[in-house]
Amino acid sequence: MPDEIPKETFESFKNSFSYGSRNDLNFKFLRGIPDDQAATFFQELLWKLADAFDDGDYERLYKHVYEWQRRGYAGAGKWQYDQGCFSPLQKPISENKLTMLASSGHFVAGDDPKPFSVENMTQEEAILQINDFIKSAPKLSAIPVDTPVEQLCVRHGGYDIRGALADPNVALPIERLRDLASEGVIGELAQHVYSFVGATSQLKLTKEAGPAWVEVLQEQQVDAAVLIPL
Amino acid sequence: MSVGHLARLIEQAGIATVVIAVRAFRSRFEEMQVARALITPYIMGRPLGIPGDIDGQRAILLAAIDLLNNATSGGTIVDYVCL
Repeated sequence: MPDEIPKETFESFKNSFSYGSRNDLNFKFLRGIPDDQAATFFQELLWKLADAFDDGDYERLYKHVYEWQRRGYAGAGKWQYDQGCFSPLQKPISENKLTMLASSGHFVAGDDPKPFSVENMTQEEAILQINDFIKSAPKLSAIPVDTPVEQLCVRHGGYDIRGALADPNVALPIERLRDLASEGVIGELAQHVYSFVGATSQLKLTKEAGPAWVEVLQEQQVDAAVLIPL
Repeated sequence: MSVGHLARLIEQAGIATVVIAVRAFRSRFEEMQVARALITPYIMGRPLGIPGDIDGQRAILLAAIDLLNNATSGGTIVDYVCL
């Protein structure tokens, strides 16, 4: 008798989009929601798809995924603070020095941060090693602010990088920052913008790497920073 | 929430920050009490929207700069509305 293929449950199906056999980081939120809600997500997705066939309006599909990502991340997170931190600007941005820091996993070609000392790690390999990333200290990539976007690379096992591959500015808007500086909207840009892989040890980030990165910004006499989480 | 932690560290050092984040992360940044955040109506992995949308990217950065210039207290979280 031929071996029987085990029947897949709906739960294992929906979970397979999160670092499983059907890995798709746009839909990893499915693992965090109950089966009945995930079933509703798929049912409504197909319904809206057929509507789009009729009227050509595919925007509803984008909105559907957007809304369910929101639901997937709703609720209490792990990190909550009673008090905020706030540093007011002393001068408008048109008179200030600005930098940017994104947890996007960008780096300049030829300056690969080589996670775990691996040469030329691929996106697929980074996804497979996501659990190692979140236990490890982050590495900061300094990107000269005049770097052409064609020289930017991106690798991050925690999100779908296809948008950032098509246009780095969706995650690290370095060209738009340069535009605004050249127009005088921003007084001055720091010598570098920065990127790192946000899937990292929060303890090592807050106790070791983060304070060291802050010193780098202070040495550059930066007044303000645009921060972009992925 | 690496960027939330970094925002807090950078603000504590006297440097003003603004976070640009997708809607899915809004509650996380509220809970982390970041100083300023601009929430964009996009899916994860594309906080500045559709690839190639130069005008849209520029408008979001301008809104973030406006928040840097004008926020008067911590925990200022603004939902960005596309024009």
